[in-house]
Amino acid sequence: MATPHSLHHEGPQKPPPSTTLPLRQHPQQQPQPTQQTVQALPVQPATGLRYPSSKKTIYDRNINRSKTAELSRAAFAYLFIEMIGYAQRRVKGVADLEKRLNEAGQPLGHRLLPLLLHRLPSPPPRPTRILPLLQFITTTLWRHLFGRPADTLERSAANAAEYMISDNEPLVSQYISVPREMGNFNAGAFVAGVIEGVCVGAGFEVEGVTAHGVAEQGGGEGGMWPGKTVFLIRFCAGVLEREEGLGKGM
Amino acid sequence: MVVFALLIINKAGGLIYNREFHSGLNKLSSNDLLILAGTFHGVHAITRSLTPHRWLPESESSPAGKATGIEVLESSTFRMQCFQTITGTKFLLFTEPHQPNIDAILRRIYELYADYVMKNPFYTVEMPIRCEKFDRGLDGFVKAKA
Amino acid sequence: MVVYSFYIFDRHTECIYSRRWIPTRPLSASSKTIRPQSGSSITSNGDTGPAVRKGFSKEDDAKLIFGTVFSLRNMVRRLGGDEDHFISYRTGEYKLHYYETPTRMKFVMLTDTKTNNLRVVLHQIWANLYVEFVVKNPLSPVEHPGGIGVANELFEMGLDSFIVRIIQSSNLSPFNTNDNTEIRFSSLNTLN
Repeated sequence: MATPHSLHHEGPQKPPPSTTLPLRQHPQQQPQPTQQTVQALPVQPATGLRYPSSKKTIYDRNINRSKTAELSRAAFAYLFIEMIGYAQRRVKGVADLEKRLNEAGQPLGHRLLPLLLHRLPSPPPRPTRILPLLQFITTTLWRHLFGRPADTLERSAANAAEYMISDNEPLVSQYISVPREMGNFNAGAFVAGVIEGVCVGAGFEVEGVTAHGVAEQGGGEGGMWPGKTVFLIRFCAGVLEREEGLGKGM
Repeated sequence: MVVFALLIINKAGGLIYNREFHSGLNKLSSNDLLILAGTFHGVHAITRSLTPHRWLPESESSPAGKATGIEVLESSTFRMQCFQTITGTKFLLFTEPHQPNIDAILRRIYELYADYVMKNPFYTVEMPIRCEKFDRGLDGFVKAKA
Repeated sequence: MVVYSFYIFDRHTECIYSRRWIPTRPLSASSKTIRPQSGSSITSNGDTGPAVRKGFSKEDDAKLIFGTVFSLRNMVRRLGGDEDHFISYRTGEYKLHYYETPTRMKFVMLTDTKTNNLRVVLHQIWANLYVEFVVKNPLSPVEHPGGIGVANELFEMGLDSFIVRIIQSSNLSPFNTNDNTEIRFSSLNTLN
């Protein structure tokens, strides 16, 4: 019991995980804010947001409505171009740019965690151990975002706090040719941000999640997977301590 | 199948991409290629206005929108097919004189362009194309066909 | 097959002969085989025809065509080497055929887009009509500034009947234009 409590103090710079938890535990309450939004409509006209005249906003729809829906890959590609262009505007280098993309991905992870947990056949409680969390990321989250599970999940041999998820062909960098002057920029930084959002949202503080291109050598031109990317997750010491404690308690 | 080369000309007549797949045509310096692209761009516009259909009365001629510039140019050693996108970018494909299925090849090249050039965040529209994945896609496609 | 127009340029880049055939029947999707009819509808040098829609005078037209074929010919030579010949180009609406004689005279013909290569035909116009009736004509000058001496009666008549024959033969067997043309043309020669 003491472990989650201490967590709140450990990461004051991150949004408290408790903000996402009530959503998951009481999904039925979700329509409530919606009602307010719709009622507030006539008071605030021209806000730039357009509401359908039937007052059926995205919040009025069933939460599972878009469960199996697919999005155009091109639409995402063009949106992502604009995101990178926007992020590139005020940055001073590749590391800065990756950081901004990472930050752009974090809120997505925060929101996806409760939604995807809710949609699971028998909604489990949020993952409390590292391995179930990572499996949730490599299967449920990956399937939701990219339509397939991640390729591998490994634990770093050198550092117990480091885990690696690899994707042979990340969708986000499918169309991207990185110019030479950009060095080792990897558009997977955005996905790294999503992973970070999920981890933090589930109460696993991380020191950082980063994306690294690791083109395989040999096997023809540039290897079989020229775009292969590894997402390196570094958990905070507190998470490992808790994991140890939970392991003993079992 | 022999595809000699591919040139891409932007809507202002500037050469933004050139690639040789197979030797057979004279090697041109990059300056000569730029001149060639500019010349072709101008000639293309003139050939569109030279259509004999303009002699016909309004009602009998084809709608103005249909008028195109050069689509195919034939010489004794090569055939050049020009594909113009609706935004004015021109793809010039040089092949052997009797190359079949050029339309399909150009269509595929246009797809590669749409994917790996237009969807690349680091490409500036109308500027020279330097996209590794586009090069690789072209290589894979043209060599697979050869 | 439709023939729209025909031009000869001399080695000084001047247009010394031009001829335009305007289809007399309305163009529609079904009638792909409009052909020029000799007689009243043929507008010879100088006459611009009844239905000029827009654009250029005949002189401007000829200049533009010359500029176009000149640029393309240079482009082809640059790419394909000095031995390469520019043969034709096609747009969505018409096709331009080109033939250059060893004396650097340029013969150009505009037709519909489905016509096969007319290089041979243009060669025959040069060899069998131009050389016969213009070059060998004792009354014709050596050079033809402003087109003097080209548009004589025999040449124009020969050109007319030759074109009509090509069109007829191509309409009879559209897949074999060139072969038929030669046969037809030889019979024309015997007639003359």
